[in-house]
Amino acid sequence: MAANAIDQTRRMLSLVTYLRERPGAHVADVARAFGITEDELISDLDVLPMCGTSFRGGDLLDIDTDGDRIWWRNPGALGADAAEPLRLAADEATALLVAARAVATLPGLREGDREALLRATAKLEAAAGEAAGASSRLSVTFESEGGVFAEVDRAISERRRLWLRYYSPARDELTEREVDPIRLFAVGHTYMEAWCRLSEARRTFRLDRVAEIRILDEHSAPPEIELRDLSEGLVQPSADDPEVVVEVGPGGRWVAEYYPHDRADELPDGGLRITLRTPDPTSLRRLALRLGSDGRIVSPQGLADSAREAAIAALAAYEGRE
Amino acid sequence: MAIAKAERLMNLALCLLGTRRPLSKRELRGSIEAYLEAGADDAFNRMFERDKDDLRELGLIIETVENLEGETGYLARRDSNRLPPITLDAEEAAALGLAAKVWQQARLAGAASGALQKLRAAGMPEAEDSYDVQPSALEPRIPVHEAAFEPLMLACRDRRPVVFDYRKATAARPETRQVEPWTLECWRGHWYLAGWDRDRGAERVFRLSRITGKVRSRAGAFTAPVPDAVTVRETVESWAGETATRSARIRLRAGCGYPLRARAQSVTQGADGWDELEIPYGHGLDAWLVEFGPDVVVLEPADLRADVVDRLRAVAKG
Repeated sequence: MAANAIDQTRRMLSLVTYLRERPGAHVADVARAFGITEDELISDLDVLPMCGTSFRGGDLLDIDTDGDRIWWRNPGALGADAAEPLRLAADEATALLVAARAVATLPGLREGDREALLRATAKLEAAAGEAAGASSRLSVTFESEGGVFAEVDRAISERRRLWLRYYSPARDELTEREVDPIRLFAVGHTYMEAWCRLSEARRTFRLDRVAEIRILDEHSAPPEIELRDLSEGLVQPSADDPEVVVEVGPGGRWVAEYYPHDRADELPDGGLRITLRTPDPTSLRRLALRLGSDGRIVSPQGLADSAREAAIAALAAYEGRE
Repeated sequence: MAIAKAERLMNLALCLLGTRRPLSKRELRGSIEAYLEAGADDAFNRMFERDKDDLRELGLIIETVENLEGETGYLARRDSNRLPPITLDAEEAAALGLAAKVWQQARLAGAASGALQKLRAAGMPEAEDSYDVQPSALEPRIPVHEAAFEPLMLACRDRRPVVFDYRKATAARPETRQVEPWTLECWRGHWYLAGWDRDRGAERVFRLSRITGKVRSRAGAFTAPVPDAVTVRETVESWAGETATRSARIRLRAGCGYPLRARAQSVTQGADGWDELEIPYGHGLDAWLVEFGPDVVVLEPADLRADVVDRLRAVAKG
């Protein structure tokens, strides 16, 4: 795989610099310093002895490991200054600077962390020189609720239980619950993953829907659970969830962008027939109302009926006043 | 078995970095085993050109110099490839470590770890070295699901014009757009591109999820000047109706509609189980109010009231 060869080359160039300063370094330490597995490091160490400035001249790198420690027997092979740290590439500077600037905008970030990040960003910009230029062409803003964020962050580090008043848009209601926070993450919005004592289950809470928050005296004791894999997207409907079919016109095509779905079939008028699954179809009544003339619920019938009834009830208030 | 690409790239990098004088292609071919095994000249030449491009992507500055016999030589000078001195303390290192984890896109995730490894090789301390640094519990992630992201990121970086098919939010069919891409911005988890739309002769913002098909590069340079500051966020906010121009008065059933209350300018409790709210009125408010069904009644302005009634009638018809 081409991408892997590039990442591996990049890593090996840094390894050469790193190992030269540390004769007899431990495999475990080096792997940790480089953020890679020991197996990945060993596979790099298998390649390095085939590398050098000339395979004929016999000046290949004599790097060897017994699986525990790493020895480089001819560190002079590259010449006196040939193993110095290399300048950052444009993509490297961009990846790190854009991420650092984005994280620094999180309103709930601890002040100490933010200051450290800003100091590091300034040093990095200086060291990257012109490679930092392209980083202004990419930017990321996280949204988060500062006060709520800080409380959750503190509760996690002090292992304390939280009391919340939380808004559920599906039911348009506020509920009170006690939760044991597990972690905070930001994907567009900022979320808390927690163990909910009320439902005895793992729940994800969007921080801008927390109406009130309090840190309790009790210790938090979330059960040992595997963290959700966020790379697959936040909403992961299960195969057992009921199916909902929505037909939208051209003005309702945005539904396919916002709701994870099983399929979206083109309709002749430029609309879409979207099939999705949700654990709680009643939560989609809001969507049906929002769509207006841009779409309708095809099934289940009960959901379509409840949207129609809600609209009729709402209209009554206007007709009485007109 | 063919020699692995990483081994070949590593050898080329070490040769170019280790030499004091430019090395000709012939010399490099004689020094690197994989090039000797490459076979015909054509195959070797193609491989060599690709490898140089790959090393340049990794940040290596490779110079080409012609010698007295007119032969081209290559070298990567130490002084132009050296990382300038940078000293980071353990807190700064930990903060960068947290930041580097935000990318979920393969190319940027690889580049971010590569940058940390270069800094580590340059002496950046490890977070574990310090016991008093306890990082925040936050795990920020930048989602990138759009296939158009990587080609557009490279086009913005290299200032290359592009062509793609784009389907506007309410259009049934995509249209071909010719764009000089300026910047990419992620807001509320979605990616947007700002650039110069050549056919419309104006600045435009595109949402990446609405790009259909492949992003293709166009030869040539930008024709319009690139502005110093690009206002992606303001444009997207006005699409999303966040830019309120007026205010509206509504009745809201007690205990309902928390998000409306949270952004209300004033809330007056009524005796009849209903409250009266004054809220900002921008684009899209009618659609949002309809979501609350019979729990919201619009009092004024009249145009908002009429829009809401129209929407409700459409749903009531079924």
